[in-house]
Amino acid sequence: MTTTEGKRATYKQRYEQGDDGLRFQELTYTGNFVGMEPVTDGIKGDRMMRERAKSGVLEKVSKEDVLRDQFTIDELNDLNNYLAWNIWDVLVMRATEGVSGMIPRQEYEILAFMHEFYRWPEILRMATDEVGGGQGVLDIGATARREIGTKVNAVHDWCIGAVGFGMGRCGLLALEVIGPDDYVEESNEILKFMQRILWGKRQDGYILNSQDNYRCRIHEADFLEQITAQLEPLEADSPKHGAFTQFNAAAELLSFLDHYDCRLGLGDTGPYELPNGQLLILRDLFVNEEVFHWSDVCDDEGLPHCYTLALTIDPEKMALAEIRVNDISTTFTRPKNYIEAITGGAVFVREKWNTPMGEVYPVAIDDLGPHLERVQNATLKLYAKTARMNRRDLIWNGQYVYYVDMILPHLRLAGAYEKACTDYQLWEVDQRVANYYYDITKRGFAQETVPQKIFSGAGYLPFSDNADRRRSKYRWL
Amino acid sequence: MAEVLAEGYNVFDTAKSPSGTIKYLSSPADVIGLIKSGKLKDHILLVRGGTTTFLAPALSMGAIGVITMSGAPESHLGILSREFQTPCVMTAYLTSSDSRYEVGKTGDSHFEEIAKALDGRRVRLDCTDHEVGRVVADD
Repeated sequence: MTTTEGKRATYKQRYEQGDDGLRFQELTYTGNFVGMEPVTDGIKGDRMMRERAKSGVLEKVSKEDVLRDQFTIDELNDLNNYLAWNIWDVLVMRATEGVSGMIPRQEYEILAFMHEFYRWPEILRMATDEVGGGQGVLDIGATARREIGTKVNAVHDWCIGAVGFGMGRCGLLALEVIGPDDYVEESNEILKFMQRILWGKRQDGYILNSQDNYRCRIHEADFLEQITAQLEPLEADSPKHGAFTQFNAAAELLSFLDHYDCRLGLGDTGPYELPNGQLLILRDLFVNEEVFHWSDVCDDEGLPHCYTLALTIDPEKMALAEIRVNDISTTFTRPKNYIEAITGGAVFVREKWNTPMGEVYPVAIDDLGPHLERVQNATLKLYAKTARMNRRDLIWNGQYVYYVDMILPHLRLAGAYEKACTDYQLWEVDQRVANYYYDITKRGFAQETVPQKIFSGAGYLPFSDNADRRRSKYRWL
Repeated sequence: MAEVLAEGYNVFDTAKSPSGTIKYLSSPADVIGLIKSGKLKDHILLVRGGTTTFLAPALSMGAIGVITMSGAPESHLGILSREFQTPCVMTAYLTSSDSRYEVGKTGDSHFEEIAKALDGRRVRLDCTDHEVGRVVADD
């Protein structure tokens, strides 16, 4: 770590009133604000977007606000604009990654976006009814405050609105099968569910990490103490440091692969500042999701649902200038390389998604060897299995990862997953979306049109002032 | 001064400077074949995309360095390269060519030109700069 010698950590300045934060990218965002000053990424961008809102929905909101049945049209448009910027903020650079060579991700993504927008509203309404209304949804969000290894996390919760509503509506508008004032009632249903989950989880009035200078500090203090009690010190370049970071990387890789190269397999929370000045990140790595049939290779290796890593970073050692735990649960820092500044670690195992917290157990870092071997074996087996799949299977498998997994944790905790499968045929593909399968490869729709609409922000058309909150879609003309 | 063959985004700054012969991998079969050959650590891997799954077993088994022709540090492969501490240069372009990658606008010829120029060259990765990663001739 030669490049930061003599420098001091300045990251706390990012939390001072009026600080603009650093720029993580040179690009700027326009969205629906044509003719106005372009919006930046990061803390400054969040502030600019909130200043442009017509309602108070992007500020701290009360429990009464959250329990209200519907958003107003202004609130819907503010959320639409903010989520569109937030999507750009976290994904515009990722989206330069091009073709996979393995999994047709753009194709499965766009099908899932549209499927979610059509199918989720009645399922989320049913889940809300199953838990007795809005308070029950808040309570589902609040469970994440005393758990690790839970998919009720930033990325899943964000996906409800950002993907199911934002990208789904954007894709259908781009395909010209809906208009801007269609499905207003359904949009409200999706966004209310998202807001309630996130508000119940954070309990500081905000819903997104970007509103809190990219912090996701949701865990209760006494719960965190149980985690930090298990931390083992790690010296840079020591075998123990290498064993911990190697396991982190290998398990994270498998979590990506099991979730078809998407971010749903990992979930960071934090940064929590510890009394000794170190920063704690909690990282859930979901290496075996039982609802995916291809995850049988993970079963064969005896892998648990989730490994949770607790890691501490010395901000002075890396002269930390900014740390973001963004809304898709991923940590980015400036300088970029935080691995060498890791000073402590612990690993926990949650065998199943519903294993009680009292049965979650730690694994000593010196004992990680057999776990690493199983993770690597599963990675090789899953890769070989995936490489043999045909394109259609890959696309529909990936579609299920998005469409099912993004709301799976909430349905599970609502006790509504089985009902969604049986009464609502969750795992069936809607005929409209099945037909889109043949349209999305035409004229570069999946690989050019939709990414351009989604990542430029140009595709998130606002609801008009005359939009009726009761409106679904009644005419197919 | 050694010749800089290509430049791109540096995923993370590191003093590690791996050297090896560039191996262009165009299909999962290429990846599996390289793993089975036992020569993974002899090579700097060149791939077209910035996604993680394509290179999964190579990363898991200890790839020493990666060059991609698209993607950024925020891409999944960028994130995993950082976690593995595998030096990685993304969206690399040839310093001898004006062709640059643009999302949705880049034809196969751009990627083929890079693969043809770099495949089989002995190189070293220089990832000491905060932003720019360099592929340096080491013949």
